[in-house]
Amino acid sequence: MTQSQVLMELTGVRKTFGKVEVLHHIDLKINKGSHAVIFGPSGSGKSTLLRCMNLLEEPDEGSIKFMQDEFGPGDKTNKQVNRKKPIELRRKVGMVFQQFNLFPHLSALDNLALPYRSVRGGSVKDAQERAAHELKKVGLLKLAANYPSELSGGQQQRVAIARALSLDPELMLFDEPTSALDPELVGEVLGVMRDLAESGMTMVVVTHEMNFAREIGDLNVFMEDGNVVATGGADFFESCTNERAKQFIGSVL
Amino acid sequence: MDEGGVAPINFMWHLVWDYKAELFKGLLTAVGVSICALIISLAVGMLFALARMSRYKIVSGFATAYVNIFRGIPALVSVIWVYFGWSLLFGHNFTVFQAGVIALTLLYSSFFCEIFRSALQAIPKGQREAGMALGMTRGKIFKSILAPQSIKIAIPNIGSMYIGMIKDTSTFAIIGMVEVVRVTQNLNSTYFQPFVLYTAAAGLYVAIAFLIDFIFRNVELNMAYPPRGRISKFLNRKKKASVEKIISST
Ligand SMILES: Nc1ncnc2c1ncn2[C@@H]1O[C@H](COP(=O)(O)OP(=O)(O)OP(=O)(O)O)[C@@H](O)[C@H]1O
Ligand SMILES: [Mg+2]
Repeated sequence: MTQSQVLMELTGVRKTFGKVEVLHHIDLKINKGSHAVIFGPSGSGKSTLLRCMNLLEEPDEGSIKFMQDEFGPGDKTNKQVNRKKPIELRRKVGMVFQQFNLFPHLSALDNLALPYRSVRGGSVKDAQERAAHELKKVGLLKLAANYPSELSGGQQQRVAIARALSLDPELMLFDEPTSALDPELVGEVLGVMRDLAESGMTMVVVTHEMNFAREIGDLNVFMEDGNVVATGGADFFESCTNERAKQFIGSVL
Repeated sequence: MDEGGVAPINFMWHLVWDYKAELFKGLLTAVGVSICALIISLAVGMLFALARMSRYKIVSGFATAYVNIFRGIPALVSVIWVYFGWSLLFGHNFTVFQAGVIALTLLYSSFFCEIFRSALQAIPKGQREAGMALGMTRGKIFKSILAPQSIKIAIPNIGSMYIGMIKDTSTFAIIGMVEVVRVTQNLNSTYFQPFVLYTAAAGLYVAIAFLIDFIFRNVELNMAYPPRGRISKFLNRKKKASVEKIISST
């Protein structure tokens, strides 16, 4: 029963930039504990969709239901629904970026401690202890005093993951977390993500790492031109019947 | 009487040494006025930078107009307005020191506005997004992520501007501020040694410019990622020890 509990539900999400609509009416359900993988050609709207899930992009239309709360513009005529502010969603959803986006002026430890303290309050010492604890989980405790410029790309991305996790998110979003990395550094980041998936975290991952997608994905979402063209479960790569998706999978595998 | 029309040249360089205390006091006054003005105009400049980037047209329009007007006004005019104009219009007198600080602040907050605006725009937008994604408020993102990074970017420009501020205090002789130029004028009216005295004044401005450059270089080192230089090491030693303790006890 808990298996099919819906954590996030997008209904009718549309997003335009200027006059161009880049997401056309997206419906998507993310179950609690599931690992969704979004893939598709460049420019198909994967990042935009992911960024709608924590309202870094505000959809022009549609609704985002997260646990009991409603976000996004939704049905404007219905005043019954109490729509929450984006910050309340962001505090429950973690995000990892392609370019890491660590704060360059802070040590790895303070990259975690500063946002933690700013969201949760409490003393600097408590926040730093919590930060050290999270860095230990991604194997970077020894480098906690280093600045981002003193870390490899893989280490930086692991710090970024730890930073998002330190705020106890219910859902983790990953936008091509390994695309900016040298090939030999991809493994360590995927390793951390694999552990996270095994620990039961709900994840939505945009990636071109098809082998990894195959390994953890229990909901596969193929996008093209701002539409979700095909979805499927863990057997999607074998059983998918959509021609475009098959072609795309063939081209990247 | 006339021996070829040229008076014998007699440079009284010893005057500089004789009146070193007066000249030095003048320099201190110049530094004092300009430091007060620096601190205030940095804060005002940052506010104007935010105003200029505001999505509200009235706010950004006001800031843009302010910058374009006050950047172009000479310090001499500014201080005359503040000191004499204000008193004529409102019957309230600023002290000479206050008038100097206000005059410089009016001018330099417009420069700092532009410096901070370009510094803020130089920060990758992923920084703000990371803060937002972590659930930080706009205010916290500005205070802890954007402001520190923009100040670091701006430091070299702030240093050059500050040297300009000190030089601009030389025009405050007109309202009777006893800064370097006023001291020089007073000595000159007694001894009539303009070349010697004004060269000495120039020397003082150059010397202070070197000192300011040195200080700002150190500030820059201290703000590097990671901080570099001996001074920053000394300042950060306690913080470092407590971080090491946390790491070793986790
Ligand atoms: N801020 C923006 N302003 C204008 N257009 C944008 C913006 N962000 C994205 N777009 C456009 O929206 C479309 C979808 O972009 P998006 O980044 O979501 O694609 P993507 O699937 O993530 O591609 P990639 O695999 O290259 O990352 C593209 O055509 C892109 O040019
Ligand atoms: Mg993308």
